[in-house]
Amino acid sequence: MRPTSGSVSVRGLDPVSEHRKALVNVGYSPELPNIQTFLTPRELLALTAEELIVPKAEVSHEIASTLEIVGLTEYTNVKVSKLSKGMVQRLSIAQALIGTPDLLVMDEPMIGLDPAGAAHFREVFRRIAKERGGTIFLSSHIMSEVESLCTSVCMIHRGRMLFNGTIKETIGNVLGSTFLIVEAEPVENCLESIRGISGVEEVRRMDGSRTVELKVTLGKDVRPNVAEAVIRSGAKLYSLSYSEDLLERTYLEALKKGTNF
Amino acid sequence: MIGTVPYVGLANLHHALSLIPSSDYPYLWVAGVFLPQGLFIQFTAILIAAGAMSEEYEQGTAELLLSKPVTKAEYFFGKFLGGYSLIAFIILLNMVLAVISATVTFGQQASFSVLPGVFVAQAYAALLFFTVAFMIGELIRRSSLSYIFSAALFFTSTIFGLYLSVIFTLTGDAFYKQVQLYIPSSPISSLPLLYASGSLPSGVASLLGTIEGLAGGAVETSIPFSILLILVYFVAAFIVAFVFFETSDVSRKVS
Repeated sequence: MRPTSGSVSVRGLDPVSEHRKALVNVGYSPELPNIQTFLTPRELLALTAEELIVPKAEVSHEIASTLEIVGLTEYTNVKVSKLSKGMVQRLSIAQALIGTPDLLVMDEPMIGLDPAGAAHFREVFRRIAKERGGTIFLSSHIMSEVESLCTSVCMIHRGRMLFNGTIKETIGNVLGSTFLIVEAEPVENCLESIRGISGVEEVRRMDGSRTVELKVTLGKDVRPNVAEAVIRSGAKLYSLSYSEDLLERTYLEALKKGTNF
Repeated sequence: MIGTVPYVGLANLHHALSLIPSSDYPYLWVAGVFLPQGLFIQFTAILIAAGAMSEEYEQGTAELLLSKPVTKAEYFFGKFLGGYSLIAFIILLNMVLAVISATVTFGQQASFSVLPGVFVAQAYAALLFFTVAFMIGELIRRSSLSYIFSAALFFTSTIFGLYLSVIFTLTGDAFYKQVQLYIPSSPISSLPLLYASGSLPSGVASLLGTIEGLAGGAVETSIPFSILLILVYFVAAFIVAFVFFETSDVSRKVS
């Protein structure tokens, strides 16, 4: 794809004019695995290794270790047409990992994977980022996945960047607050005292339940005060935790505001 | 198959055998070599070329391959040469089968020295519709539509050529003959036959004349003109395809 404006550089190289040099250490796994079905995982990875100019003496070892990372060792010589959707997705990730690239572009890598497979790859990506010290671009519509894996986030809507920065910065800039979920019984007893706590901006009771959601100023840890308020009111405290969908709320808020952050 | 079928047919028809002078028997390999030239070889070239690029877009393999350190030019030339090598191999295979079948059916064959030149002429002629179909596949990026448009162009050209030939015969107006010379199906039929006519013994000329008629009616022209015309069509189609490929995005087409 040719840029319409701006510029891109990969390790200081222009991927358009210096295509080969720029992409030699880049691994890409597309959203929909585009793999020739008449190949076996070994053949596909051998071809990919050849394109990446992996030294011939290292190809067999590279293939074996990559297939082990993605959990396909026992399917090394099975035709792609006989693999399940999840296995093809694993193979798509494998062809991105071979050649030990220091920049990975993973487009919806968890699609088609079972929960165990998704957990395995989350761990694989964390390990690669830690051990290789490279960068992983993860494109995903699953906000919880992004929040649990990424250090920085860039949100794009209809070709326009809504925000860009570390997750903490982004949430701070867009939402300016965090959310605390409190479960207590009877919850009515403690609502007034919680409202009076410094840093609590808003208290919202979930319909007909013993759960309330507190909007809290970012950077203020009100958990001890909330716990104390609940217990003093005579209510029983069942749980007290931060909301885990902050990134999703951030996205929705950014869409609502419609401005760049 | 195409190279063998005429001989099986001839061998099983008593009257057909009696129509062929026994002096032509050593040259009957030309039937298997030249009969498929006008239709089968061109149509096979179209089938290979029309899907060469478009299927890669539909399957998303182009996107994946170009994410590797492979330049667009390398990819384009690789696809073109890969497909063209296949059609050249099919032409070669057809020749071998024709010669073997003719030998088995009619005995020892002769004048094989002309075969390498005929191979080059047929392979060069196949370049025209191969490149045009390759270009259509690149421009449209839908395999089914590419096959349809490429085949339609080929058949239109062939039928149009026949119409022009008939009109010229009926009216004697040289204009129709001139127009026929320039349509793409003309040089591809003419070139291999023109080359072979000059290199084979005169006794085979009548046989080649019959094949000319069966192969779609070759136009009376010259070898240099046919070479030039094929080159013009090839270069034009190749440049259009390459420039379009170089300047457009490569993304998966979900059909």
